[in-house]
Amino acid sequence: MKNGWQQRLQDELAQAWVVIVKDMKVHYLRPGMIMFGFMMPFFMFFSFSVRREMGAAQGVARLLALTTFFTAAAAGPFIIPLERRLGTYDRLLAAPMSLLTLLLGKAAVGALFAIGVSVFSLLVGVVAFGATIAQPWLLVSGVVLGSFSFSALGLIFGSIPTRNPGDVQMPSTLLRWGLLFISGTFIPLTEMAPAARAVAYLSPLTYAQDLMNHAVLGMGLLSPWLDLLVLLVSGILFMVPPVWMHRWARQLGY
Amino acid sequence: MSNLDHAIEVNDLTKIYGQADSGVLAVDHINFAVRQGEVFGFLGPNGAGKTTTQRMLTTLLEPTEGRIVILGHDLAREPYPVKRQMGLVPEESNVYTELTAWDNLMFTAQLYRVPRAERAERARQLLETFGLWEKRSVKVENFSKGMRRRLSIAMAIIHRPSLLFLDEPTPGLDVQSARAIRDLIRQLNAEGTTIFLTTHQIEEANQLCDRVAIINHGHIAATDTPERLKATFRRVQSVEVALEPPEGLEPSGGWGEALTALPGVTTAVKMGDKWRLYTEDPSALLPQVMDYARANKLKVISLSTLGPSLEDVFLELTGQQVGTVRHETQDDRPRRGMKGRMGGGR
Ligand SMILES: Nc1ncnc2c1ncn2[C@@H]1O[C@H](COP(=O)(O)OP(=O)(O)OP(=O)(O)O)[C@@H](O)[C@H]1O
Ligand SMILES: [Mg+2]
Repeated sequence: MKNGWQQRLQDELAQAWVVIVKDMKVHYLRPGMIMFGFMMPFFMFFSFSVRREMGAAQGVARLLALTTFFTAAAAGPFIIPLERRLGTYDRLLAAPMSLLTLLLGKAAVGALFAIGVSVFSLLVGVVAFGATIAQPWLLVSGVVLGSFSFSALGLIFGSIPTRNPGDVQMPSTLLRWGLLFISGTFIPLTEMAPAARAVAYLSPLTYAQDLMNHAVLGMGLLSPWLDLLVLLVSGILFMVPPVWMHRWARQLGY
Repeated sequence: MSNLDHAIEVNDLTKIYGQADSGVLAVDHINFAVRQGEVFGFLGPNGAGKTTTQRMLTTLLEPTEGRIVILGHDLAREPYPVKRQMGLVPEESNVYTELTAWDNLMFTAQLYRVPRAERAERARQLLETFGLWEKRSVKVENFSKGMRRRLSIAMAIIHRPSLLFLDEPTPGLDVQSARAIRDLIRQLNAEGTTIFLTTHQIEEANQLCDRVAIINHGHIAATDTPERLKATFRRVQSVEVALEPPEGLEPSGGWGEALTALPGVTTAVKMGDKWRLYTEDPSALLPQVMDYARANKLKVISLSTLGPSLEDVFLELTGQQVGTVRHETQDDRPRRGMKGRMGGGR
């Protein structure tokens, strides 16, 4: 007989997994998900990249940063309000599992979508354009950690007490574009004016891009360890507002 | 401190949506207890605060004030053991329409940690009981409202809860589906499940419940057996009538007051061009109204008998004047009527 907390931990992990699998089955084909999750990163990539002369590897690094960022952050803002509207979110809230388990499950859904799209972009880059990967393990940990962190960011918007995904899409899209344009994704950090670079350090995407540069091109501006640490810490911090907002929603009656 | 015979104990439970001073007071310091093994009815008209109460009891909504003890646990401090033992059927059937009936059941079974070896067997039994076995592989988006409701009940009981909450399980369903669901509630109760049933149908509460709490505007007016509440229900039946003098004659307003004096009328209320006459025995009053009309050469424009309305039951129970509030729930109640023009005069 296992002691209480071990059993509980095992239960919670299993429940998080059940939520993840269910969400993947239920939501992956929704128009909102395809539009904001799958099309957007490629759209962004091509509209800002085709004009410039750019090597395949550099393109892959940029595309990976974009896919992790956009796909991961797209799921949260859209799945939870939709489930609130359909009433199915109550099922998860009433179930015998902790709020943290539920939120980690939801964050993992966005992250897994993003990892899926990233693998696809990577295959295209490697197979079709012959890009080579300098540090595969850095790539794996960067994609995984970046996806989780950005998914948690999306979860902040998903936790806004509303039953209308449209209410959340707007602010979350604005923030994502803001973070994208101040980041070092389209203009390399080295080419930025000092003031712009200082601003770029505020965007987690900057670190994801730097990390991808290390992983694919084998060179970056910051230390890859710093990049990983920033993504990890920001991911953990992004989980805090959703917890508060869920408590708030429970008072408001959403 | 808490009574072990009680599945649920509620003390001074209050919910204000929004700010304490400007918000909506949906539930106002209610107190009740649900005994182990009973079917407890929570009966009230639209907007009474039923769903609000049920959502607080199921941890979905944070109370503004008050204490809830379920199965011996203070819900605010120990929700986990309570959540494991309760099942929840909400107002809207919240099934996953993208999944099949089978996958919906499997998902809930896994979420509630039903042992792997038992999941499939329980799901099969439930689908058979609910008449959904043939449709187990069909996506729920193709299910009718009644099928969805049955599935959502099956999902709520696959982990064998000892306490089941149902929020208005039958409205909008055809007679057979509603009856099937009521039978099922009885059967679950016979097997030992305590049932908390929210409804706005007096008949449903009468048929199913051991005890009923009557709630309106966030207050509980009475908690008693349906048998003992029946006297109250009877007192607030009524006959609604509109009379008119034959063509060419001036309308004389006096007929309403005259009807009020008929034997058996307890209270009368004027409602627009109609009068509502409260009586314990509508069938005895009807012929008297017809006789009066005939004797005074008045035409019967409309005449109908009304079953008890929850609004009136509530007013009667709280010692207020019946018939003084008119709400949209009115049309939910049984109305046996002879509407339209009927010759009453000669
Ligand atoms: N989330 C909310 N925010 C603000 N007010 C609310 C909210 N939910 C319910 N109310 C209000 O609280 C009151 C009680 O509502 P509740 O849904 O509990 O009634 P009910 O008895 O379940 O009614 P019905 O029979 O229509 O389901 C109503 O006045 C309603 O407008
Ligand atoms: Mg309700």
